[in-house]
Order: sequence, then structure tokens, then C-alpha cells
Amino acid sequence: MDNPAQIIIENVSHHYRPAVGREVLALESVSLQVREREFLALVGPSGCGKSTLLYLIGGFLPIDTGKIMVDGKPAAGPGPDRGIVFQNFALFPWKTVRKNVLYGLERQALPRAEREARAQAFIDLVGLTGFEESYPSHLSGGMKQRAAIARTLAFDPRMLLMDEPFGALDAQTRSLMQSELLAIWEKTRKTVIFVTHDVHEAVYLAERVAVMTARPGRIKAIIDTSFDKDDPEVHRSKIFVDKVDEVWTLVRDEAVKALEKQRP
Amino acid sequence: MARVTDAMRRRFAWGAARLAPVVTLLAAWEIFARSGAVTPFMLPAPSAVTERICEDALGGDLFVNIGATLYRALMGFAIAAVGGVVLGAVMARNALARWFFDPIISVGFPMPKIAFLPVIILWLGLYDVSKITMVVLDAIFPVVTATVAGIASVEKELLWSARNMGAKDRELLWQILLPAALPQILTGLQVALPIALIVVVVTEMQMGGYGLGGAMMQASRFANSRGVFAGIVEIAIIGYALVAAMAWLRRRLLAWHQEGREG
Amino acid sequence: MTVAFSTGRGKPPGPASGRPDGKLPALRRLISNRSNFLLRYSPLLILALAWEAASRLQLASSLALPPLTDVARAWIELIQSGDLVGNGLSSLYRAGAGLALAILVGGALGVFMAVSRPANAMLGPLVELFYPMPKSALIPVTVLWLGFGDGSKILLIFLGCMLPVTIGAYNGARGSDQHLLWSARSMGARGLRVMWDVVVPSALPELLNGVRTALALAFILLVSSELVVARQGFGYLIGYLGANGSYEAMFAVVLTVAFIGFLADRVYQAVVERALRWRE
Repeated sequence: MDNPAQIIIENVSHHYRPAVGREVLALESVSLQVREREFLALVGPSGCGKSTLLYLIGGFLPIDTGKIMVDGKPAAGPGPDRGIVFQNFALFPWKTVRKNVLYGLERQALPRAEREARAQAFIDLVGLTGFEESYPSHLSGGMKQRAAIARTLAFDPRMLLMDEPFGALDAQTRSLMQSELLAIWEKTRKTVIFVTHDVHEAVYLAERVAVMTARPGRIKAIIDTSFDKDDPEVHRSKIFVDKVDEVWTLVRDEAVKALEKQRP
Repeated sequence: MARVTDAMRRRFAWGAARLAPVVTLLAAWEIFARSGAVTPFMLPAPSAVTERICEDALGGDLFVNIGATLYRALMGFAIAAVGGVVLGAVMARNALARWFFDPIISVGFPMPKIAFLPVIILWLGLYDVSKITMVVLDAIFPVVTATVAGIASVEKELLWSARNMGAKDRELLWQILLPAALPQILTGLQVALPIALIVVVVTEMQMGGYGLGGAMMQASRFANSRGVFAGIVEIAIIGYALVAAMAWLRRRLLAWHQEGREG
Repeated sequence: MTVAFSTGRGKPPGPASGRPDGKLPALRRLISNRSNFLLRYSPLLILALAWEAASRLQLASSLALPPLTDVARAWIELIQSGDLVGNGLSSLYRAGAGLALAILVGGALGVFMAVSRPANAMLGPLVELFYPMPKSALIPVTVLWLGFGDGSKILLIFLGCMLPVTIGAYNGARGSDQHLLWSARSMGARGLRVMWDVVVPSALPELLNGVRTALALAFILLVSSELVVARQGFGYLIGYLGANGSYEAMFAVVLTVAFIGFLADRVYQAVVERALRWRE
């Protein structure tokens, strides 16, 4: 737990201009540090800018004010050190599962046989053995997300940026994927930033949960949620329920504030 | 009192920005044509073409020709529209009609019907009837296909709830099926309209007589390149105006539809 | 954002299931059965028989409607004399060359407009201006520039077919999913690589749709221009035979052209289905 900070976010603000209307302040001087090999969840009411913060770390959006350092370098532009997983999977629909997983590997100087072996290993890891030659359109939502996770893990990024990855899945698939993600994380031990609006999910998966305020988004509180989660009954344990309650109260206050702001 | 709002100013700037490439193209054409790089026969300057269009307009020929072309195109288009929607609706509702017409439509749609032009001339002569027939023959296929597809894709739940509220079969067609299929039917009409224009111009070129196509062919025979270019410009303007009118009609008719709210 | 949730197990609903309730379910089931080719296409056979009968029974003048069997005989003669093949190859060369140019230039232009703001601002209004123009109006000017031969037809088909491809490519490329672009970039793809790997495949379905429109237009413009002015080609042959009163032969060529147009569309659709088999 005392690993050095890998991602340093300092006083980051972000504006965006919607198609109609005035400029909106999405993030206001956000500061946050993420430690190496840590699993951090970002939660907050919808529209609080948690995905925007993730995209800024990923280098997909330009940083206007403040700075974001990743491994000591400014996060300018996306790179294979930061793997991203989206809610809508973002698999290339014209490529099979295998070709999707190979895509990131092909950008690296690896011998062909090794690329194939690595791709197969990660397809096996996420439990998609036998579906290598399927196109994404023939997979269920859960399988698509497994494929997307395999694709991102395969090119061995130093950290995973996950943008509500299970938001489009049904409840059963979702809870199954959560425990599988936890198992994978324990195997690979990558730094993970996990955006979600599901408080249970955040408390179950993460070691720390950062709660954001309603727009403009700021970090409201950081809750330590690192306790033993191997117990199959963990969802009913007192510590789990207490933590969920603590985070939930914080998020609910912000959601209420956001609603009040919308009223004339 | 009307005020100049930001939105108005922006709309004006937007219009000007879109006009700029067109003006640039015209200027480039004028300069190129006058530079002597090509003979005026190969490429008359836009000013010379405009002059020719004005002469035609003052002499009255222009309006006679536009009238003849528009009459044939719109008459053919209207017959194709009404006939196509009726045939499509019958095919969607009646299995026997569908059995008979489905292969004819699906085989006939991709065929270049224009090849039948000499046959139509043989049967119906050189006058308006054969030109209009040719337009109908070409323009009806997209309308039928769009109507059948549109009616077939109406959601079952919509029909069931109408039934549930006591709608009769005939009411279903007029009150549910056709309105729900309207977006697709209009798309079919939007495909059919340019086809009608292409075909009417070809039939006029082939058969001569009044009309913009015939006038162009006449100019071409006398090696009058100004006349040929004037014809192109006139036909292009007619085409643009009709397609824009159709798009406007679609926006009006589909105000209830999701796409009506955009822009 | 809603994401389609497909299980991949259930078969897509058949063509009949989406239709509103019909009157004859048994007959409909028979028709929707694709293997029953003969029943499906029997109306065409009925039309052919009606044609033959009308002509044989003198219901229509055999001049205006020569019996189908005579047309078939004339077709065989045209094949044997080489007229049909020679003119046909000439026509197909013109259509193929014009269409190939239109797809290459039009497709590149559309993708370019989608990824470059200045290109869009410059070319967008021109595309919008010229797209609704009835392209057959260009027949005389292409003849003026390039004469009666292949060149003028190829130019006409190129100009006439380019814009549907451009618009298809533009709409398709502009609609590429932002998240796909980001994914490719996060995996280390840059610049042209992203264009080729993400933008072009995303544009493909709409681009191929535009090409289908262009294919139909190519046939229309080919036959039109050959009917109006040519010394070779299907259209020329139709006009020539009609002027000489050989109506059986004229009908034979007309039906051949119509059939080739139909066949080209079906072959194209089969190719597209294969190319886009990654979709649902």
C-alpha cells in the first residue's frame, strides 16, 4: 500500500462547449494521486465529469489548466502505457476476437509467433477460448467486454483506465464480471482507475474510492475500502455494508445537489 | 421590431461561408476560360453562358422549355408516387399481390429501364405520353420498394394497440400503417425524384422537341457550346430547386418524427 | 448511450415475421421459403407466357411486340454474328472504367472531407450543389470535349457516379465511433494507420451503399449516352436495330442489357454481403 504515486493530478480544470449553449465547467481544480498497482474507483453523480477525468488521464482530451503526470511524464496524447476499456466495448466490429486482441500487439516489435501466443493466452484468461474467430456482433454483451479487456491486457499497459465497463451489462453478468476482474487484477496487479456510478461495484472492487462532487466535479472525499474481499459472503459483511453506506451517503448528497441545480 | 440576434448573425456567416467555395469556383472558371488555355468552344466563360441564358429568357424560349420539362418530370413523378404507394400498400397487405409483384419489382428495380426507351417510342410515339411513361417506369420502383419496406417495419405493438382501441382494418391502413411508414416512403420519393429528372432529360435528348434536354441537343448539333453549357446550368438549377423543395416537404411532413427536431 | 445487447444465439426474425398480419398464412409461408425458387419467380414466367400468347394470338401487333420465341432466335443470331458480344464488351469496358474511377476518386474525396475541416468547408458546398444535378445533362458536353468514342462515356460515368460514392464515404467516415479511434490510438496507432485501420472500415458499409447507387447510375448513364450519341455499345445497337426495323433483335438487346444490369446488382450485393459479414 505504500507504493509511490504513479499518476499525479494537480489542479486540473476542464471546460467543454456543447453543441448548443454556453461553455460548461466540467472539472474544477481536481487533485488526486494514484499509487502504483492500486485499484482506485471514481464515483459520483451522473454528469460530474468522472469520465472526463479518465479521458484526460488517457490523453484523449487536451488539458487546459493544471497538469497530469503519468510515470513522471506529462499525459500528452494517448499511449500504450495506459490501456482503456469503454462501456460500449469499442471492439473493431470488422475484426474477429483474435484479430482485435492482436491489434495492439501488432503495433509492438514482437515476433509473430509470440504475438499469437500472447493473444491466445489473454483470450484464455478472460474465458473466451473457442470464440477466437467470432465477430463481436455475434457475442453477448458480457463476452464483448471480456474480449475488450483481453485486448487491452494483451499489449501489457502499465495501467488500466476503465470507463463504466460493466454499465451496459445485465445484473447477473455484471456481478460475474466483477469477480472475474478482481481475479484478473490479482493475477496481473496493474494500476486500475475504474469509473462507475454503482457504489456497490466501487466498494467491492477498489482499494480506495474517490467520490466526486456534482458539476463542476471536484474530489469530495477518498474512502479507504481495502479489506478482505475473498469471502463469498463479503457483500453481507458489516464492513462492506458500512463502507457502501458511507460512500452512498456522500454520492447521494451530491446527486440531490445536482437535481436542485437543474430546477429553475 | 426585429433585432439582429446572435443566431441570425451566425446563420448569415454560415451562409456566406458556404457560398464562398461556389463563388470561388465561378471565378476560377471565368479566369480559366478567358486565359486562352482552352478555346471558348470547349469551355465558354460563365459570363457568356449567363448572357445566353438571359437571351433565352428574354426571347421566352427558356420558359417554354422549362415548362415542358417540368410538366413531364412532375407528371411522371406524381403518377409514380401515387401508383407506387398504392401498389406498395396492396403488396404489403395482400399475399397474392405480393406473390405476383414481388419478383417483378425485385428483378425490375436494378434493371436500367432506360434501355426500353426505343421500345416505348415504338409503342407510344415521340410525344409527351411516351416521355411521361418512361419517367413513371423508372421512378416507380424505389417508391414501391420503400412503401413495402416501410409498412413491413411498422411495429406490431403499434398495430395491436390500435386494434385494442377498436380500429378497423381500413382505419389501420390510413391511420397507422401509412403514417408510420411515411419516413421510408418519403425516402423512396427522394430517390425517385432525381431519377425522374435524369430520365426526362434523356428522353428529351433522344426525341427532340421542346424541353431543356431537346434544346441542349439542338445546340449541340449546331456546335453551339454556349447553348450546351446554358442547358447544363438550367437543368442543374431545376434539379437543385426540386430536390431542395422535396427536402423541405419532408421536414414539414415529418415534424412529429425524431429527425424533424434536429437542426 | 444504449448498446445493442445481442446474444448471438437467437436467429434473426425471418422476412415474413415482421409483416403485419396477412390473410393467407399458408401461402405466405410457401413464398417465404427461399428454396422454392420456381414458385417465387413464376410470375415472371407467367408474364413471358402472356407476352408470347398476346403476340401469337395477334392481340398485339407482332411488329410492336414480336413473339418471345422470335426474340430468343434473334438473340442467338446476334451472339453468333458477334454483334452482341463486341458491342457488349465495349459497353462493359466503358461502365467499368468510369465506375472504377468514380469509386477511387469519390471514395478518397469523401474520406478526406470527413477527416479534414478545411476540405469539408471548401468541398462540402460544391458537393451539395452538384449532387442533385440530373447527370444526363452532361451527355452533350462530354461529347463536345471528348467526341463519340469511349472517352466521353467514361468521363460521363465518372462524373455522374462520383458524388453518391463521395457522400457515402463521407457519411460513413464521419460516423466513425470516437471510442474506436481512441482505442486504436491508445494501442499505438497514429495518423494514416488510424485512417486505414479505423476510419476506412467504419466508412465501408455506407461507402458500399453509395457504390450500389453508383452502379445503377452507371448503367443508366451508359445506355442513355449510347442511345443519344455513339458508334458502338449496347445503346448504339438498340438504336441501330430499331431504326432498321429489326424489332426482334432490338428486343433481344434491350432484354440483355436489362438482365446484365440486374445481374450486376445481384453479384455486387453478394460481394458486399461477404465483405460485411462481420455485421449482424
